[in-house]
Amino acid sequence: MNEEELIKTAKSGDKKAMTVLVKNYEKTVYNFAFKICRDPERAENIMQETFLSMIKSLHQFDGKSKLSTWLYRIVANHCLMEARKKKHEFVSIDDDENGLYDSSYHAGWEAMPVNIIENKELKEILDEAIQKLSPEYRVVFLLRDVEGFSTEETGEMTELSVPAVKSRLHRARAFLRNEINKAFEK
Amino acid sequence: MNDDKKICKEVMSHICDSLGEDLDSPKCIAIKNHLDECPDCSNYFKSVEKTIDFYKKYNVELPEEAHNRLLDVLGLKED
Repeated sequence: MNEEELIKTAKSGDKKAMTVLVKNYEKTVYNFAFKICRDPERAENIMQETFLSMIKSLHQFDGKSKLSTWLYRIVANHCLMEARKKKHEFVSIDDDENGLYDSSYHAGWEAMPVNIIENKELKEILDEAIQKLSPEYRVVFLLRDVEGFSTEETGEMTELSVPAVKSRLHRARAFLRNEINKAFEK
Repeated sequence: MNDDKKICKEVMSHICDSLGEDLDSPKCIAIKNHLDECPDCSNYFKSVEKTIDFYKKYNVELPEEAHNRLLDVLGLKED
């Protein structure tokens, strides 16, 4: 059964088809939720909320976009809602355009091995850097640069204009690059 | 800020702005030429690319228990 047929069957209440859809996307959803919140427990909660939303709203899914795109949008919305509730302190990168660009360059960039998963130190640096970034910027960076959606698709998923996506993206890139560079200097 | 530094800030801004976009515009060609001559900006370019690459490669596995709990919460079962 292809995805279109699976969705049609799941919409009619078929639990087997719904199970297949969940299993097809659970890894993607969990991974993306983890990338946003950097916490396994919160990623699992968001994954559960996302699929509960999917089951509740699947009848509204019109097939104009891909199901994966629809799910990414739900994950992003859940993460943003959760972050707003928690009211963490994030580093403001809305102003000070010049301060974003730091030409210092640490040799650590050259020394880091390719295999990130086995490099605990680098993972900690990456977690720490992205957690300082406000979720509104984080989501744009992750959708566009990490998950590979186009600027237009990222805009649709986050309900931002293309110029707003570009603005957040280039600030997020510069901020993360600087945070990692600073961590290499320590 | 001297002129060279000002140009470098603009180049760095452009790198962050346009990475992954169309790089054949006249402005992008001028940036590429600058990167060939300026080690600071060239290193900056490489480090922004690496930043993205690091986050792309940082993936996690879905724990089996989390998979089982998900199906339970949703009222679904394995075949």
